[in-house]
Amino acid sequence: MKAALIGAGQIARQHLACLQRLPGVEVAAVCDLSPGTAEAAAERHGIRSWFTDHRSMLREIRPDVVHVTTPPTSHFRLALDSLEAGAHVVVEKPATATFAELDALLRAAREKGRALIEDHNYVFNRAPQEIVRRIDSGEFGAVTHVEVLICLDIFGPGGFADPNVPHPVLSMPGGAIADFLPHLASLAHLFVGPHRRAHAVWAKRRPSVLPYDEFRAVVEGERGTAALGFSACSQPDAFWLRVYGERMHASANLFETRLTFDGPRPGPKPLRPFFGGLEEGRAIRRAALATLLRKFKGPGAYEGLWELLARTYRALADGSPLPVTAEHVLEVNRLAEALKPAEVRP
Amino acid sequence: MRALVTGAGGFLGRHVVAALLARGHRVRAMVRPAARLEGLGWPASPGLSVGPGGPGVEGSVGPGGPGVEGSAGPGGPGVEGVEVVRADLRAARDLAPAFEGVDVLVHLAAAVSGGEDLQFAAAVAGTERLLGAMATTPCRRLVLASSFAVYDVGAIRGGVHDESAPLHRAPELYGRDGYTIAKLWQERVTRRLAEQHGWDLTVLRPGFIWGRDHAYLSALGQRLGRHHLVIGPLTRLPLTHVENCADVFAQAAEDPRARGQTFNVVDGRGERIWTFLGDYQRGTGERGLRIPVPYRPALWAIRLAYATVFRRATKVPTVLIPNRFESRLRPLRFENRRLREVLGWKPPLDYRQCLARTYGPPRPAAVEGLAQPS
Repeated sequence: MKAALIGAGQIARQHLACLQRLPGVEVAAVCDLSPGTAEAAAERHGIRSWFTDHRSMLREIRPDVVHVTTPPTSHFRLALDSLEAGAHVVVEKPATATFAELDALLRAAREKGRALIEDHNYVFNRAPQEIVRRIDSGEFGAVTHVEVLICLDIFGPGGFADPNVPHPVLSMPGGAIADFLPHLASLAHLFVGPHRRAHAVWAKRRPSVLPYDEFRAVVEGERGTAALGFSACSQPDAFWLRVYGERMHASANLFETRLTFDGPRPGPKPLRPFFGGLEEGRAIRRAALATLLRKFKGPGAYEGLWELLARTYRALADGSPLPVTAEHVLEVNRLAEALKPAEVRP
Repeated sequence: MRALVTGAGGFLGRHVVAALLARGHRVRAMVRPAARLEGLGWPASPGLSVGPGGPGVEGSVGPGGPGVEGSAGPGGPGVEGVEVVRADLRAARDLAPAFEGVDVLVHLAAAVSGGEDLQFAAAVAGTERLLGAMATTPCRRLVLASSFAVYDVGAIRGGVHDESAPLHRAPELYGRDGYTIAKLWQERVTRRLAEQHGWDLTVLRPGFIWGRDHAYLSALGQRLGRHHLVIGPLTRLPLTHVENCADVFAQAAEDPRARGQTFNVVDGRGERIWTFLGDYQRGTGERGLRIPVPYRPALWAIRLAYATVFRRATKVPTVLIPNRFESRLRPLRFENRRLREVLGWKPPLDYRQCLARTYGPPRPAAVEGLAQPS
């Protein structure tokens, strides 16, 4: 498989590092508007050609798969050109700036018989996948409710709230938080399916260039309910996923490796909290060590991206079902769209 | 002569602006859109504002007078105000107006903190934008602030670190920190564009720039709470006091002998780590023990730990990676011979005066308080 990448910034490094390790995948070219950035990425990852114009790259390289890792406001044009050039597209989240653009992209993909995969990386982290395994095996029971809360300080210099350069995502409804909605929506979708109704609350606590820094939502899904949140003001940074089933509860921090289950256990009922607490303590200690060790090696919190890309390339090679289908992308973005505030604040 | 100084609000930049003024030149200072101008040490007057949507004139361009933007000090008699251009090189669309009437570009802008990609975008993509704009103007002269970081210190043979030392190369380069990668690529991109357009380029590579509020250096060893592990206490540091360093930039901008040259910027052979750290502790009143550790055994210990424990790891604390440890702490002899021989440069301030400027009572921010050119 011949891969190519457009937009050689921060997240591109994760894509390229992963692609280098995938069997049967060659990264044939990288493209960036800045020639120095494109050439440095090519040199760093041993890629034989680099471009500053994506159309020349598509024409000359004819890639099988194009990774679009630019700021979200440019995704639509780049992904559409790539689909029209006959390539499958892996696009960073959010896939497009508007829902209408997404609809058009999915239509183009269908017409061309190509796949459009949005990076729902956290769905493929080890913890959510382990919870899904227990749900599928029946031991968890049916999911009744899922909570996802991201606490992340995004006020730092050089990021979303940089007072010198307006971040491209600030032009989207919801501002910087719009960049995180696909994570929240894809995890809700994984556990409770497509949404029927959603109600969101957007708020601003601190003075900054961000239109909003707090977000909460309640969602009714086809298989259960979800409570989603993003907090730029709560510290420390954490990515909490809590899944409630008819027999078990699961709790995970996706920025770390922590995953604990609380469920039925043998023995007298009054002692359940005691033994449950001991077991949870053991699991947290093990996870603390694993979190420390993974700091030295591998993709860290991006483990899900690596897993998603591995499964995607496998599916594209042997024709098996994709890990993220067009239907998933559509349903996740429909939820993300329902969560967005009505107006764009300046 | 009129100079455009990028990164003018930075630690080095504010002193370079002052040094150029002290030599009687006119200065247009490019600062970030949200930069505060108080305390920069020179009188500022409003100038251009180059936003992501293109340039917009913020106010009249002229000597400090009524409507001075954030006037930072009394412009003495005969001192013209500094025109301020507000732009961020990562986003500004059209930077050409900033070059109007400019004879020399002194390019200092880079990000010294933040993630690897932020540093790269600021230094490399920012330089491409800036020089792309310069190519559309008559300005043909530029001075680039590079860094000692571009040298592959571990590959130096003979123990003398001068301009002939080897630079980092791929793939070894990409195991380095973000600042090193960004500065090396910034220099590469600048040299290519200078060659392509036939510009007169001077590259200055300063060692450790120090001064008030910037006197604690990574080469001082490893902090342990308030104590210090001094690795190689007798090693000399490639130091340049910010006012001395700024003086080199000002001279390079005006001196035709600097054209086409590359210079390492150090004040001299440098102080020993032990002495410099002692002066730092006395100057700042910080208490704590200086614990001497010989360099060689420390390097062996780190190499052993790396070979046995961390070899397969991809992310290891900087000080535990042997080649980064060497870059920071390897004892070498530092030379500024080329600077002396080609430009006849002598540091205006000696070490004692530098200590007084760094730790003594603050001087009033004014041009007359600057280091005088040699």
